[in-house]
Amino acid sequence: MTPHYFLYLATILFAIGLLGITIRKNLFVIYLSIELMLSSVNIILATFSKASNSQDGSIMALLMIAVIASEASIFLAIIVYLYKSTKTIDTETFTNLRNEESI
Amino acid sequence: MLESIIFSILALFLIIGAISMISFKESVYSAISFLLVMIATSGIFALLHQSFLFLAQILVSVGAVVTLSLMIITSINIKKENLPKHRVSFKSVIFSIILISPIISLIFYAISSLDIVFKEVNNSFGTIESIGKTLFSNWILPFEIVSILLLSALIGSIIISKRRLNI
Repeated sequence: MTPHYFLYLATILFAIGLLGITIRKNLFVIYLSIELMLSSVNIILATFSKASNSQDGSIMALLMIAVIASEASIFLAIIVYLYKSTKTIDTETFTNLRNEESI
Repeated sequence: MLESIIFSILALFLIIGAISMISFKESVYSAISFLLVMIATSGIFALLHQSFLFLAQILVSVGAVVTLSLMIITSINIKKENLPKHRVSFKSVIFSIILISPIISLIFYAISSLDIVFKEVNNSFGTIESIGKTLFSNWILPFEIVSILLLSALIGSIIISKRRLNI
């Protein structure tokens, strides 16, 4: 086993997450895609940590897990708030910043 | 040999879980596919001798993040007519693949030109003891910054869920 397999796998996961953000309109799927991209970065950090025989990459991945947890709490609070006020999770609805008269 | 068989099974689970996550229409099925992805990711960590990361991934990502997402999805109870109306068209998928293919092919090219191999690691690599020693000697400042980040995320989520505003 060389590190390249792990890096290719993480890149494929990152590509799937990016594809999910660009093609879907559901807020939950966008949130899960962001989580998927962050986890693929974690795989890359752990791989380089083992390849260089140093603990620093593992520590960075550990701190990334804390960042993922805080991002999840904020994003889910925003989703609940948006659903309560508009009764939809379609991203086409939230166009306040796109309207030209509001600029 | 055994390592590559386990890696192939985990990679299969990861890719199937990720593709089904972005293609299901119902949010609950997407979250359950994401659970599969997270468990397979912790398996990848175990394959890389990162025993503490494996534990943290199971505890935080599977135990907290996915469970919280499933709880939010089932508690706000989205009706079928409130989901996004239009289907994902074939044209938008092709356009998105064309859009993201340059950066992904660049990353693939960079990985294929890398010249690294896995060295033999000693037994204490990735255990709680050695990670704790490194975390509290060289990485103490990032650790404190992450604690401030978690506190601000706590306060921010409370404030967002308290306010009333009409969009």
